[in-house]
Amino acid sequence: MLSKEQKERYQRQISVFGEDGQEALGKARIVIAGAGGLGSAIALYCAAAGIGHIRLIDCDTVEVSNLNRQILYRTGDVGKEKVTAAATDLRSLNPGIEVEPVETKITAENVGSLLDGSDLVLDGLDNFPARYLLAHAAWNHKIPFIHGAVSGMYGQVTTIIPGVTPCLQCMVPFPPPSGAIPIIGATTGIIGSIQAAEAIKYLTRRGVLFTGRMLLWDGLRGDASVITIEHDPACHECGTE
Amino acid sequence: MMNDRQDHITLTVKSFATFREVMDAKLTIDFPKGATIRTLLAELTGKYEGLGELMFAAPETLRDFVNILRNGRNIHFLAELDTPLDDGDVIALFPPVAGG
Repeated sequence: MLSKEQKERYQRQISVFGEDGQEALGKARIVIAGAGGLGSAIALYCAAAGIGHIRLIDCDTVEVSNLNRQILYRTGDVGKEKVTAAATDLRSLNPGIEVEPVETKITAENVGSLLDGSDLVLDGLDNFPARYLLAHAAWNHKIPFIHGAVSGMYGQVTTIIPGVTPCLQCMVPFPPPSGAIPIIGATTGIIGSIQAAEAIKYLTRRGVLFTGRMLLWDGLRGDASVITIEHDPACHECGTE
Repeated sequence: MMNDRQDHITLTVKSFATFREVMDAKLTIDFPKGATIRTLLAELTGKYEGLGELMFAAPETLRDFVNILRNGRNIHFLAELDTPLDDGDVIALFPPVAGG
């Protein structure tokens, strides 16, 4: 049962997905991997929506050059651990949820325990080696994985459901080049917000997800396309051969 | 949609992200039957200056991260550059992005 305070706080969204939807969000446990540009938008909207338990993972400290896009932080946070500063901000936004900051780098050794008990994983990472590691572990734990990535004014989103959709390796077989990737802050806001909306849709069982499909956002030309991507029939993870 | 001319095929090509900086976002193109992805890329890299450099690490060697989908299937899982093309195929060219 929702409390009077919760009914008031979430009034405008309960009219979208009902009290049962709000209760589902409140019971949900999600992992947000990466507390950068995407992670900021994802975490803020998931916390504001009342997702009950948010485990936020990042190993970095806040730098001045993060502030064009990482809207969880203020100038006074420079030098602080990202997850600690982020947890303070998220708890201030919504004291009714639990925020679990985890300051660590995601490795093959710890990735399984980082996903323990979670219903959903959101990808706010900034490189594909870590994404493949996390997506692979999520697949093995049968946890849906909402992928997002950006560059400049371009972005992409897809939702991976283990046993149903292609895996991340099939959607993006080879990693794009690494290095300092140019990013307009608003692009991480757009893509991270779409990821948060996917999470809310998944958890409240509403709408149609980006499953087996990838949204390709072109902010430079004001164009969004959705392409269908099929798996590698020989993929050892999601293939059919 | 079948092509009127039985010996030709018509493809739709869509490009995304940085590929759009050197080529059209969407075009239709005709080839004789028997064309492959190699035929298509030869035509496109000839038509659009800078596309060859974006897509190829060396002659005949696509950059790893260049995703070419034929009707949703990545040519990495088909026959790479030898993947055959049919009338009505939709080819998507997209370089995934990685930042966060």
